[in-house]
Amino acid sequence: MSKELVHTPEGVRDVYGRESYERSTVKHKIKEIMYRYGYENILTPTFEFFDVFAKEISQASARDLYKFFDNEGNTLVLRPDFTPSVARCIAKYFMEDTEPVRICYSGNIFINTHRLQGKLREHTQMGAELMCDGSVNADAEMIAMMIESIRATGLTDFKVTIGDADYFKGIIEEAGIDEDTEDQLREYLSGRNYSALEDYLHQLVKDGKIESKFADILIHMPDFTTADELEEGAADLTNTRSRSSIERLKNLYHLLDVYGAADNVSFDLAMLSEYNYYTGVMFRAYTYGVGDAIAKGGRYDNLLSKFGKDAPAIGYMVDLEYLMSALYNQKIDIPYSQEPDVVTYDESDYEQKLAMVQNKRAQGYYIVLKHK
Amino acid sequence: MRYLTFALGKGRLVKSTMELLEKCGIQCEEVTDKDTRKLIFTNEELKLRFFLAKGPDVPTYVENGAADIGIVGEDTILEEERNVYEVLDLGFGKCRMCVAGPPQAKELLSHHAMIRVASKYPNIAKNYFYNKKNQTVDIIKLNGSVELGPIVGLSDVIVDIVETGSTLKANGLEVLEEICPLSARVIVNPVSMQMENERIRKIVADMKKALMSE
Repeated sequence: MSKELVHTPEGVRDVYGRESYERSTVKHKIKEIMYRYGYENILTPTFEFFDVFAKEISQASARDLYKFFDNEGNTLVLRPDFTPSVARCIAKYFMEDTEPVRICYSGNIFINTHRLQGKLREHTQMGAELMCDGSVNADAEMIAMMIESIRATGLTDFKVTIGDADYFKGIIEEAGIDEDTEDQLREYLSGRNYSALEDYLHQLVKDGKIESKFADILIHMPDFTTADELEEGAADLTNTRSRSSIERLKNLYHLLDVYGAADNVSFDLAMLSEYNYYTGVMFRAYTYGVGDAIAKGGRYDNLLSKFGKDAPAIGYMVDLEYLMSALYNQKIDIPYSQEPDVVTYDESDYEQKLAMVQNKRAQGYYIVLKHK
Repeated sequence: MRYLTFALGKGRLVKSTMELLEKCGIQCEEVTDKDTRKLIFTNEELKLRFFLAKGPDVPTYVENGAADIGIVGEDTILEEERNVYEVLDLGFGKCRMCVAGPPQAKELLSHHAMIRVASKYPNIAKNYFYNKKNQTVDIIKLNGSVELGPIVGLSDVIVDIVETGSTLKANGLEVLEEICPLSARVIVNPVSMQMENERIRKIVADMKKALMSE
Protein backbone atom coordinates (compact mmCIF):
# COMPACT_ATOMS: atom_id res chain seq x y z
CA MET A 1 0.00 0.00 0.00
CA SER A 2 1.35 3.40 -0.83
CA LYS A 3 2.21 5.49 2.16
CA GLU A 4 0.37 8.67 1.19
CA LEU A 5 -2.98 6.95 1.41
CA VAL A 6 -2.94 6.78 5.21
CA HIS A 7 -3.33 10.55 5.52
CA THR A 8 -6.61 12.45 5.44
CA PRO A 9 -6.85 15.65 3.38
CA GLU A 10 -6.10 18.89 5.19
CA GLY A 11 -8.94 20.08 7.44
CA VAL A 12 -10.61 16.72 8.07
CA ARG A 13 -9.63 13.99 10.50
CA ASP A 14 -10.43 10.59 11.93
CA VAL A 15 -12.07 10.37 15.35
CA TYR A 16 -11.50 6.99 16.99
CA GLY A 17 -11.09 5.14 20.26
CA ARG A 18 -11.89 6.90 23.47
CA GLU A 19 -12.48 10.27 21.81
CA SER A 20 -15.07 8.73 19.58
CA TYR A 21 -16.90 7.23 22.56
CA GLU A 22 -16.78 10.50 24.44
CA ARG A 23 -18.07 12.37 21.46
CA SER A 24 -21.07 10.11 21.15
CA THR A 25 -21.69 10.37 24.90
CA VAL A 26 -21.80 14.16 24.58
CA LYS A 27 -23.98 13.96 21.48
CA HIS A 28 -26.35 11.63 23.27
CA LYS A 29 -26.68 13.99 26.24
CA ILE A 30 -27.48 16.96 24.00
CA LYS A 31 -29.95 14.97 21.93
CA GLU A 32 -31.66 13.80 25.11
CA ILE A 33 -32.34 17.44 26.10
CA MET A 34 -33.80 18.17 22.67
CA TYR A 35 -36.06 15.11 22.89
CA ARG A 36 -37.21 16.13 26.36
CA TYR A 37 -38.47 19.37 24.85
CA GLY A 38 -40.37 17.36 22.27
CA TYR A 39 -38.17 18.08 19.25
CA GLU A 40 -38.32 15.63 16.39
CA ASN A 41 -35.26 14.50 14.53
CA ILE A 42 -34.80 15.42 10.89
CA LEU A 43 -32.30 14.31 8.26
CA THR A 44 -31.55 16.55 5.31
CA PRO A 45 -29.14 15.74 2.47
CA THR A 46 -25.42 16.44 2.81
CA PHE A 47 -25.45 18.42 -0.43
CA GLU A 48 -28.08 20.71 -1.87
CA PHE A 49 -28.54 23.26 -4.64
CA PHE A 50 -26.26 26.25 -4.22
CA ASP A 51 -29.28 28.57 -4.31
CA VAL A 52 -30.58 27.20 -1.00
CA PHE A 53 -27.63 28.86 0.72
CA ALA A 54 -26.61 31.56 -1.76
CA LYS A 55 -28.84 34.41 -0.64
CA GLU A 56 -28.31 33.93 3.04
CA ILE A 57 -24.56 34.19 3.23
CA SER A 58 -22.15 36.94 2.38
CA GLN A 59 -20.12 36.83 -0.80
CA ALA A 60 -16.93 36.20 1.11
CA SER A 61 -18.32 33.06 2.68
CA ALA A 62 -19.86 31.96 -0.63
CA ARG A 63 -16.28 31.47 -1.76
CA ASP A 64 -15.67 29.12 1.16
CA LEU A 65 -18.28 26.60 0.07
CA TYR A 66 -17.48 23.24 -1.45
CA LYS A 67 -19.15 23.54 -4.85
CA PHE A 68 -19.55 21.02 -7.63
CA PHE A 69 -21.86 20.25 -10.54
CA ASP A 70 -24.32 17.47 -11.17
CA ASN A 71 -24.54 16.05 -14.68
CA GLU A 72 -27.30 18.47 -15.62
CA GLY A 73 -25.09 21.43 -14.88
CA ASN A 74 -26.70 22.51 -11.57
CA THR A 75 -24.36 23.93 -8.97
CA LEU A 76 -24.41 21.90 -5.78
CA VAL A 77 -22.75 22.62 -2.44
CA LEU A 78 -21.89 20.59 0.61
CA ARG A 79 -24.02 22.20 3.33
CA PRO A 80 -22.13 24.92 5.23
CA ASP A 81 -25.01 25.36 7.71
CA PHE A 82 -28.16 23.41 8.59
CA THR A 83 -30.69 26.20 9.06
CA PRO A 84 -31.45 26.97 5.37
CA SER A 85 -31.76 23.23 4.63
CA VAL A 86 -34.14 22.68 7.50
CA ALA A 87 -36.14 25.78 6.54
CA ARG A 88 -36.42 24.52 2.97
CA CYS A 89 -37.57 21.13 4.18
CA ILE A 90 -40.15 22.48 6.62
CA ALA A 91 -41.50 24.99 4.08
CA LYS A 92 -42.02 22.07 1.69
CA TYR A 93 -43.64 19.51 4.00
CA PHE A 94 -45.55 21.82 6.34
CA MET A 95 -46.65 24.37 3.75
CA GLU A 96 -50.26 24.51 4.99
CA ASP A 97 -49.62 24.03 8.72
CA THR A 98 -49.80 26.96 11.09
CA GLU A 99 -49.02 24.96 14.25
CA PRO A 100 -45.49 25.38 15.64
CA VAL A 101 -43.01 22.81 14.30
CA ARG A 102 -40.18 21.57 16.54
CA ILE A 103 -37.25 20.01 14.74
CA CYS A 104 -33.76 18.95 15.79
CA TYR A 105 -30.82 17.69 13.77
CA SER A 106 -27.26 16.55 14.07
CA GLY A 107 -24.72 16.15 11.34
CA ASN A 108 -21.67 17.55 9.65
CA ILE A 109 -21.16 20.85 7.88
CA PHE A 110 -18.37 21.67 5.47
CA ILE A 111 -16.56 24.96 5.07
CA ASN A 112 -13.58 25.30 2.79
CA THR A 113 -11.59 27.62 5.06
CA HIS A 114 -8.24 29.01 4.04
CA ARG A 115 -5.26 26.75 4.36
CA LEU A 116 -2.94 26.46 7.31
CA GLN A 117 -5.03 28.25 9.91
CA GLY A 118 -5.39 25.26 12.19
CA LYS A 119 -9.12 25.10 11.54
CA LEU A 120 -11.13 22.05 10.64
CA ARG A 121 -13.20 22.10 7.47
CA GLU A 122 -15.73 19.55 8.67
CA HIS A 123 -17.62 20.30 11.87
CA THR A 124 -20.31 18.32 13.62
CA GLN A 125 -23.23 20.51 14.59
CA MET A 126 -26.32 19.72 16.62
CA GLY A 127 -29.19 22.09 16.59
CA ALA A 128 -32.89 22.70 17.00
CA GLU A 129 -35.34 24.93 15.17
CA LEU A 130 -38.74 26.12 16.35
CA MET A 131 -40.81 27.28 13.39
CA CYS A 132 -44.19 29.04 13.07
CA ASP A 133 -43.84 30.61 16.51
CA GLY A 134 -42.84 34.25 16.72
CA SER A 135 -43.41 34.72 20.44
CA VAL A 136 -40.94 35.63 23.12
CA ASN A 137 -41.79 32.27 24.70
CA ALA A 138 -40.23 30.61 21.68
CA ASP A 139 -37.09 32.77 22.13
CA ALA A 140 -36.87 31.69 25.75
CA GLU A 141 -37.42 28.02 24.94
CA MET A 142 -34.54 28.08 22.45
CA ILE A 143 -32.07 29.84 24.72
CA ALA A 144 -33.04 27.71 27.73
CA MET A 145 -32.56 24.57 25.63
CA MET A 146 -29.18 25.79 24.45
CA ILE A 147 -28.08 26.44 28.02
CA GLU A 148 -29.40 23.06 29.19
CA SER A 149 -27.68 21.26 26.32
CA ILE A 150 -24.36 22.82 27.31
CA ARG A 151 -24.87 22.12 31.00
CA ALA A 152 -25.77 18.51 30.23
CA THR A 153 -22.25 17.96 28.90
CA GLY A 154 -20.74 18.93 32.26
CA LEU A 155 -19.54 22.38 31.23
CA THR A 156 -20.40 24.94 33.91
CA ASP A 157 -18.12 27.91 33.32
CA PHE A 158 -19.67 29.50 30.26
CA LYS A 159 -21.43 32.73 29.34
CA VAL A 160 -24.35 33.49 27.11
CA THR A 161 -24.76 36.89 25.48
CA ILE A 162 -27.97 37.99 23.86
CA GLY A 163 -28.54 40.79 21.39
CA ASP A 164 -31.31 41.87 19.05
CA ALA A 165 -30.83 42.73 15.37
CA ASP A 166 -33.81 45.09 15.51
CA TYR A 167 -32.21 47.36 18.07
CA PHE A 168 -29.49 48.58 15.72
CA LYS A 169 -31.81 48.61 12.70
CA GLY A 170 -34.24 50.81 14.61
CA ILE A 171 -31.53 53.32 15.42
CA ILE A 172 -30.43 53.40 11.78
CA GLU A 173 -34.00 54.08 10.64
CA GLU A 174 -34.69 56.73 13.26
CA ALA A 175 -31.45 58.54 12.53
CA GLY A 176 -32.00 58.34 8.78
CA ILE A 177 -28.59 56.84 8.08
CA ASP A 178 -27.90 55.85 4.47
CA GLU A 179 -26.69 52.43 3.37
CA ASP A 180 -23.00 53.24 2.86
CA THR A 181 -22.77 54.90 6.26
CA GLU A 182 -24.57 51.97 7.82
CA ASP A 183 -22.06 49.54 6.29
CA GLN A 184 -19.18 51.53 7.71
CA LEU A 185 -20.83 51.68 11.14
CA ARG A 186 -21.43 47.93 11.01
CA GLU A 187 -17.80 47.32 10.20
CA TYR A 188 -16.59 49.33 13.20
CA LEU A 189 -19.22 47.91 15.53
CA SER A 190 -18.73 44.29 14.59
CA GLY A 191 -14.97 44.79 15.07
CA ARG A 192 -15.63 46.58 18.39
CA ASN A 193 -13.38 49.31 17.10
CA TYR A 194 -14.79 51.98 19.38
CA SER A 195 -12.08 54.56 18.83
CA ALA A 196 -12.54 54.53 15.06
CA LEU A 197 -16.31 54.49 15.54
CA GLU A 198 -16.11 57.57 17.71
CA ASP A 199 -13.95 59.49 15.22
CA TYR A 200 -16.21 58.49 12.35
CA LEU A 201 -19.37 59.54 14.18
CA HIS A 202 -17.88 62.87 15.21
CA GLN A 203 -17.06 63.51 11.57
CA LEU A 204 -20.64 62.61 10.56
CA VAL A 205 -22.02 65.01 13.13
CA LYS A 206 -19.69 67.74 11.89
CA ASP A 207 -20.82 67.17 8.31
CA GLY A 208 -24.41 67.41 9.46
CA LYS A 209 -25.17 63.85 8.38
CA ILE A 210 -26.55 62.70 11.71
CA GLU A 211 -27.73 64.32 14.91
CA SER A 212 -25.28 64.29 17.77
CA LYS A 213 -27.86 62.49 19.91
CA PHE A 214 -27.57 59.39 17.69
CA ALA A 215 -23.81 59.60 17.62
CA ASP A 216 -23.85 59.41 21.43
CA ILE A 217 -26.22 56.47 21.40
CA LEU A 218 -24.09 54.55 18.92
CA ILE A 219 -20.86 55.25 20.78
CA HIS A 220 -22.35 54.11 24.05
CA MET A 221 -24.26 51.07 22.78
CA PRO A 222 -24.23 48.81 25.82
CA ASP A 223 -22.20 45.81 24.74
CA PHE A 224 -21.97 43.97 28.02
CA THR A 225 -24.83 44.67 30.27
CA THR A 226 -27.15 43.07 32.81
CA ALA A 227 -30.90 42.87 32.38
CA ASP A 228 -31.42 45.70 34.87
CA GLU A 229 -29.39 48.08 32.75
CA LEU A 230 -31.21 47.26 29.51
CA GLU A 231 -33.60 50.14 30.00
CA GLU A 232 -30.77 52.63 29.49
CA GLY A 233 -30.41 51.40 25.92
CA ALA A 234 -33.86 52.70 25.07
CA ALA A 235 -33.74 55.89 27.12
CA ASP A 236 -33.08 58.35 24.28
CA LEU A 237 -34.80 56.49 21.48
CA THR A 238 -38.29 57.14 20.22
CA ASN A 239 -38.54 54.53 17.44
CA THR A 240 -40.76 51.57 18.21
CA ARG A 241 -38.42 49.04 16.61
CA SER A 242 -35.56 49.63 19.07
CA ARG A 243 -37.84 50.20 22.02
CA SER A 244 -39.83 47.03 21.48
CA SER A 245 -36.61 45.06 21.08
CA ILE A 246 -35.55 46.27 24.52
CA GLU A 247 -38.96 45.36 25.94
CA ARG A 248 -38.69 41.94 24.40
CA LEU A 249 -35.22 41.33 25.81
CA LYS A 250 -36.49 42.25 29.27
CA ASN A 251 -39.37 39.80 28.95
CA LEU A 252 -36.99 37.20 27.64
CA TYR A 253 -34.75 37.61 30.64
CA HIS A 254 -37.69 37.19 32.97
CA LEU A 255 -38.69 33.95 31.23
CA LEU A 256 -35.12 32.63 31.35
CA ASP A 257 -35.17 33.30 35.05
CA VAL A 258 -38.30 31.16 35.33
CA TYR A 259 -36.48 28.43 33.37
CA GLY A 260 -33.65 28.68 35.90
CA ALA A 261 -31.30 29.59 33.05
CA ALA A 262 -30.62 33.25 33.75
CA ASP A 263 -27.34 32.89 35.68
CA ASN A 264 -24.95 32.94 32.79
CA VAL A 265 -26.81 35.50 30.71
CA SER A 266 -25.77 39.03 29.77
CA PHE A 267 -26.85 41.36 26.98
CA ASP A 268 -24.88 42.79 24.10
CA LEU A 269 -26.82 45.40 22.15
CA ALA A 270 -23.88 45.96 19.80
CA MET A 271 -24.13 42.38 18.55
CA LEU A 272 -24.87 42.52 14.84
CA SER A 273 -26.18 39.67 12.77
CA GLU A 274 -23.38 37.83 10.99
CA TYR A 275 -25.72 35.89 8.73
CA ASN A 276 -28.05 38.01 6.69
CA TYR A 277 -31.01 35.95 7.82
CA TYR A 278 -31.18 36.92 11.49
CA THR A 279 -34.03 39.32 12.14
CA GLY A 280 -34.58 39.58 15.91
CA VAL A 281 -32.99 38.10 18.98
CA MET A 282 -29.50 36.59 18.54
CA PHE A 283 -27.42 34.72 21.10
CA ARG A 284 -24.03 33.08 21.53
CA ALA A 285 -22.42 30.93 24.19
CA TYR A 286 -18.75 31.36 25.07
CA THR A 287 -16.35 29.55 27.33
CA TYR A 288 -12.63 29.35 28.12
CA GLY A 289 -10.25 27.34 26.02
CA VAL A 290 -11.68 27.87 22.53
CA GLY A 291 -11.34 30.83 20.21
CA ASP A 292 -14.93 30.83 18.96
CA ALA A 293 -18.50 30.53 20.27
CA ILE A 294 -19.41 26.96 21.26
CA ALA A 295 -23.07 27.51 20.45
CA LYS A 296 -25.12 30.20 18.77
CA GLY A 297 -28.45 30.98 17.27
CA GLY A 298 -31.11 33.54 16.56
CA ARG A 299 -34.46 34.43 15.10
CA TYR A 300 -34.89 34.38 11.33
CA ASP A 301 -38.42 35.43 10.50
CA ASN A 302 -37.84 36.01 6.77
CA LEU A 303 -36.00 32.85 5.81
CA LEU A 304 -38.99 30.52 5.42
CA SER A 305 -40.72 32.97 3.10
CA LYS A 306 -37.81 32.54 0.66
CA PHE A 307 -39.02 28.97 0.32
CA GLY A 308 -42.64 29.99 -0.09
CA LYS A 309 -43.94 29.77 3.48
CA ASP A 310 -44.47 32.97 5.39
CA ALA A 311 -43.72 32.07 9.00
CA PRO A 312 -41.41 33.14 11.82
CA ALA A 313 -38.72 30.83 13.17
CA ILE A 314 -35.87 30.63 15.65
CA GLY A 315 -33.04 28.15 16.09
CA TYR A 316 -29.72 27.37 17.73
CA MET A 317 -26.85 25.04 17.15
CA VAL A 318 -24.01 23.64 19.23
CA ASP A 319 -20.68 23.24 17.46
CA LEU A 320 -19.36 19.91 18.68
CA GLU A 321 -15.82 20.61 17.52
CA TYR A 322 -15.52 23.70 19.71
CA LEU A 323 -17.51 22.18 22.55
CA MET A 324 -15.32 19.06 22.70
CA SER A 325 -12.13 21.10 22.72
CA ALA A 326 -13.56 23.25 25.53
CA LEU A 327 -14.42 20.10 27.52
CA TYR A 328 -10.93 18.66 27.00
CA ASN A 329 -9.27 22.00 27.66
CA GLN A 330 -11.11 22.47 30.95
CA LYS A 331 -10.47 18.82 31.85
CA ILE A 332 -14.14 18.06 32.31
CA ASP A 333 -14.83 14.42 32.98
CA ILE A 334 -16.98 12.81 30.31
CA PRO A 335 -18.57 9.58 31.53
CA TYR A 336 -17.13 6.72 29.56
CA SER A 337 -19.96 4.33 30.10
CA GLN A 338 -19.61 2.11 27.10
CA GLU A 339 -16.17 0.71 27.89
CA PRO A 340 -16.64 -3.01 27.29
CA ASP A 341 -15.68 -5.82 29.63
CA VAL A 342 -13.19 -8.33 28.32
CA VAL A 343 -13.74 -12.08 28.51
CA THR A 344 -10.95 -14.39 27.36
CA TYR A 345 -11.14 -17.94 26.15
CA ASP A 346 -8.81 -20.73 25.16
CA GLU A 347 -9.51 -23.71 22.89
CA SER A 348 -10.95 -25.80 25.71
CA ASP A 349 -13.68 -23.44 26.96
CA TYR A 350 -14.61 -21.42 23.85
CA GLU A 351 -18.15 -22.70 23.46
CA GLN A 352 -18.94 -22.41 27.14
CA LYS A 353 -17.61 -18.81 27.30
CA LEU A 354 -19.40 -17.90 24.11
CA ALA A 355 -22.72 -19.05 25.51
CA MET A 356 -22.13 -17.10 28.71
CA VAL A 357 -21.14 -13.95 26.79
CA GLN A 358 -24.12 -14.16 24.44
CA ASN A 359 -26.39 -14.49 27.41
CA LYS A 360 -24.86 -11.40 29.01
CA ARG A 361 -24.97 -9.42 25.75
CA ALA A 362 -28.66 -10.18 25.51
CA GLN A 363 -29.04 -8.59 28.93
CA GLY A 364 -27.40 -5.43 27.63
CA TYR A 365 -23.76 -5.80 28.73
CA TYR A 366 -20.87 -4.66 26.53
CA ILE A 367 -18.41 -7.50 26.15
CA VAL A 368 -15.38 -8.26 24.01
CA LEU A 369 -14.62 -11.98 23.63
CA LYS A 370 -11.02 -12.64 22.75
CA HIS A 371 -8.36 -15.32 22.74
CA LYS A 372 -6.20 -15.57 25.83
CA MET B 1 -7.75 34.68 38.32
CA ARG B 2 -6.84 33.50 34.84
CA TYR B 3 -3.80 34.82 32.99
CA LEU B 4 -4.49 37.33 30.25
CA THR B 5 -2.05 36.78 27.41
CA PHE B 6 -0.65 39.51 25.16
CA ALA B 7 0.91 38.73 21.78
CA LEU B 8 3.22 41.54 20.66
CA GLY B 9 4.43 41.94 17.10
CA LYS B 10 8.22 41.80 17.09
CA GLY B 11 10.16 44.87 16.01
CA ARG B 12 9.68 48.57 16.17
CA LEU B 13 6.32 48.47 17.97
CA VAL B 14 7.51 46.60 21.07
CA LYS B 15 9.29 49.49 22.76
CA SER B 16 6.48 52.01 22.31
CA THR B 17 3.93 49.41 23.41
CA MET B 18 5.76 48.58 26.63
CA GLU B 19 6.22 52.29 27.38
CA LEU B 20 2.52 52.82 26.93
CA LEU B 21 1.64 49.82 29.13
CA GLU B 22 4.01 51.14 31.79
CA LYS B 23 2.00 54.36 31.88
CA CYS B 24 -1.07 52.20 32.54
CA GLY B 25 0.68 50.62 35.51
CA ILE B 26 1.52 47.40 33.66
CA GLN B 27 5.16 46.48 33.88
CA CYS B 28 7.19 43.69 32.40
CA GLU B 29 10.77 44.81 31.86
CA GLU B 30 11.97 41.46 30.58
CA VAL B 31 10.06 41.93 27.33
CA THR B 32 12.45 44.58 26.08
CA ASP B 33 15.55 42.74 27.31
CA LYS B 34 17.33 41.77 24.10
CA ASP B 35 19.62 39.18 25.72
CA THR B 36 16.96 36.97 27.19
CA ARG B 37 16.21 33.56 25.75
CA LYS B 38 12.82 33.32 27.34
CA LEU B 39 9.79 33.23 25.07
CA ILE B 40 7.10 34.05 27.60
CA PHE B 41 7.24 36.82 30.20
CA THR B 42 4.94 37.02 33.18
CA ASN B 43 3.65 39.74 35.46
CA GLU B 44 2.50 37.62 38.40
CA GLU B 45 0.98 40.50 40.28
CA LEU B 46 -1.54 41.39 37.57
CA LYS B 47 -1.70 37.87 36.14
CA LEU B 48 -0.54 38.93 32.71
CA ARG B 49 1.63 37.09 30.23
CA PHE B 50 3.46 38.50 27.24
CA PHE B 51 5.13 36.92 24.26
CA LEU B 52 6.73 38.24 21.12
CA ALA B 53 5.73 36.84 17.76
CA LYS B 54 6.32 37.66 14.14
CA GLY B 55 3.84 40.36 13.05
CA PRO B 56 1.71 38.25 10.67
CA ASP B 57 1.40 35.55 13.37
CA VAL B 58 -0.13 37.87 15.96
CA PRO B 59 -3.67 37.84 14.47
CA THR B 60 -3.41 34.03 14.20
CA TYR B 61 -2.62 33.66 17.92
CA VAL B 62 -5.42 36.02 18.81
CA GLU B 63 -8.02 34.49 16.50
CA ASN B 64 -7.41 31.03 17.94
CA GLY B 65 -7.52 32.31 21.50
CA ALA B 66 -3.88 31.39 22.20
CA ALA B 67 -3.50 35.08 23.06
CA ASP B 68 -6.33 37.25 24.38
CA ILE B 69 -4.92 40.58 23.24
CA GLY B 70 -2.58 41.36 20.36
CA ILE B 71 -0.66 44.46 19.39
CA VAL B 72 0.29 44.65 15.77
CA GLY B 73 0.48 46.94 12.72
CA GLU B 74 -2.71 47.53 10.80
CA ASP B 75 -1.01 46.28 7.64
CA THR B 76 -0.97 42.78 9.14
CA ILE B 77 -4.59 42.98 10.24
CA LEU B 78 -5.70 44.03 6.75
CA GLU B 79 -3.60 41.35 5.11
CA GLU B 80 -4.61 38.47 7.34
CA GLU B 81 -8.37 39.24 7.50
CA ARG B 82 -8.86 37.30 10.74
CA ASN B 83 -11.91 37.16 12.92
CA VAL B 84 -10.73 39.45 15.73
CA TYR B 85 -12.00 42.61 17.38
CA GLU B 86 -9.94 45.66 16.52
CA VAL B 87 -10.46 47.82 19.57
CA LEU B 88 -7.95 50.66 19.60
CA ASP B 89 -5.75 52.71 17.33
CA LEU B 90 -2.51 53.29 19.21
CA GLY B 91 -1.44 56.10 16.92
CA PHE B 92 2.23 55.14 16.92
CA GLY B 93 4.12 53.14 14.33
CA LYS B 94 2.58 55.42 11.71
CA CYS B 95 3.32 54.71 8.07
CA ARG B 96 1.48 54.33 4.76
CA MET B 97 0.60 51.43 2.49
CA CYS B 98 1.62 52.57 -0.98
CA VAL B 99 2.01 51.59 -4.59
CA ALA B 100 5.59 52.45 -5.50
CA GLY B 101 7.77 52.10 -8.56
CA PRO B 102 10.03 53.97 -10.94
CA PRO B 103 8.56 57.36 -11.98
CA GLN B 104 7.78 56.12 -15.51
CA ALA B 105 5.52 53.39 -14.06
CA LYS B 106 2.95 56.03 -13.05
CA GLU B 107 1.65 55.90 -16.58
CA LEU B 108 0.77 52.19 -16.15
CA LEU B 109 -1.55 52.94 -13.22
CA SER B 110 -3.78 55.26 -15.22
CA HIS B 111 -4.94 52.49 -17.58
CA HIS B 112 -6.70 49.25 -16.87
CA ALA B 113 -4.10 47.15 -18.62
CA MET B 114 -2.62 44.23 -16.73
CA ILE B 115 0.51 44.97 -14.72
CA ARG B 116 2.73 42.90 -12.46
CA VAL B 117 2.78 43.83 -8.77
CA ALA B 118 5.28 42.47 -6.26
CA SER B 119 4.31 42.58 -2.60
CA LYS B 120 4.57 41.07 0.86
CA TYR B 121 0.86 41.88 1.09
CA PRO B 122 -0.89 40.00 -1.73
CA ASN B 123 -4.39 40.40 -0.22
CA ILE B 124 -4.10 44.14 0.28
CA ALA B 125 -2.65 44.53 -3.22
CA LYS B 126 -5.36 42.40 -4.79
CA ASN B 127 -8.13 44.17 -2.93
CA TYR B 128 -6.81 47.62 -3.93
CA PHE B 129 -6.33 46.88 -7.61
CA TYR B 130 -9.43 44.73 -8.12
CA ASN B 131 -11.98 46.52 -5.98
CA LYS B 132 -10.81 50.15 -5.89
CA LYS B 133 -9.00 50.66 -9.19
CA ASN B 134 -10.61 47.95 -11.31
CA GLN B 135 -7.27 47.10 -12.78
CA THR B 136 -6.23 43.54 -13.58
CA VAL B 137 -2.95 42.65 -11.96
CA ASP B 138 -0.59 39.73 -11.68
CA ILE B 139 0.51 39.56 -8.06
CA ILE B 140 3.90 38.18 -7.14
CA LYS B 141 4.37 37.36 -3.48
CA LEU B 142 7.80 38.29 -2.10
CA ASN B 143 9.00 37.91 1.47
CA GLY B 144 11.30 40.91 1.82
CA SER B 145 13.33 43.56 -0.05
CA VAL B 146 10.32 44.07 -2.25
CA GLU B 147 11.99 47.16 -3.78
CA LEU B 148 14.09 44.80 -5.84
CA GLY B 149 11.03 43.84 -7.91
CA PRO B 150 10.95 46.77 -10.34
CA ILE B 151 14.74 47.20 -10.28
CA VAL B 152 15.51 43.74 -11.58
CA GLY B 153 12.43 43.61 -13.80
CA LEU B 154 10.43 41.07 -11.81
CA SER B 155 7.46 43.43 -11.55
CA ASP B 156 6.25 46.82 -12.78
CA VAL B 157 5.38 48.24 -9.37
CA ILE B 158 5.33 47.16 -5.73
CA VAL B 159 2.81 47.45 -2.91
CA ASP B 160 4.56 47.98 0.41
CA ILE B 161 4.74 49.94 3.64
CA VAL B 162 6.44 53.33 3.33
CA GLU B 163 7.69 55.01 6.47
CA THR B 164 10.07 57.78 5.35
CA GLY B 165 10.52 56.86 1.72
CA SER B 166 14.30 56.85 1.98
CA THR B 167 14.71 53.21 0.90
CA LEU B 168 12.62 53.91 -2.17
CA LYS B 169 14.56 57.03 -2.97
CA ALA B 170 17.93 55.33 -2.62
CA ASN B 171 16.79 52.84 -5.22
CA GLY B 172 15.34 55.29 -7.71
CA LEU B 173 11.72 54.51 -6.82
CA GLU B 174 8.94 56.77 -5.59
CA VAL B 175 5.46 56.59 -4.13
CA LEU B 176 2.99 56.49 -7.00
CA GLU B 177 -0.27 56.09 -5.10
CA GLU B 178 -1.22 55.88 -1.46
CA ILE B 179 -3.52 53.01 -0.50
CA CYS B 180 -4.15 53.83 3.16
CA PRO B 181 -2.50 55.21 6.28
CA LEU B 182 -1.38 52.65 8.88
CA SER B 183 -0.62 52.55 12.59
CA ALA B 184 -0.37 50.08 15.47
CA ARG B 185 -3.62 48.53 16.68
CA VAL B 186 -4.89 46.57 19.65
CA ILE B 187 -6.81 43.45 18.69
CA VAL B 188 -8.83 41.18 20.99
CA ASN B 189 -10.19 37.66 20.69
CA PRO B 190 -14.03 37.81 20.58
CA VAL B 191 -14.41 35.04 23.17
CA SER B 192 -11.93 36.67 25.57
CA MET B 193 -13.82 39.93 25.15
CA GLN B 194 -16.89 38.20 26.59
CA MET B 195 -15.23 36.01 29.19
CA GLU B 196 -12.84 38.69 30.54
CA ASN B 197 -14.84 41.75 29.59
CA GLU B 198 -14.08 43.88 32.64
CA ARG B 199 -10.34 43.33 32.69
CA ILE B 200 -9.88 43.79 28.96
CA ARG B 201 -12.04 46.89 28.77
CA LYS B 202 -10.14 48.41 31.66
CA ILE B 203 -6.79 47.79 30.00
CA VAL B 204 -8.04 49.25 26.71
CA ALA B 205 -9.56 52.28 28.47
CA ASP B 206 -6.33 52.85 30.41
CA MET B 207 -4.31 52.67 27.22
CA LYS B 208 -6.63 55.13 25.56
CA LYS B 209 -6.33 57.51 28.50
CA ALA B 210 -2.53 57.25 28.45
CA LEU B 211 -2.54 58.02 24.73
CA MET B 212 -4.74 61.06 25.17
CA SER B 213 -2.49 62.49 27.86
CA GLU B 214 0.60 62.25 25.66
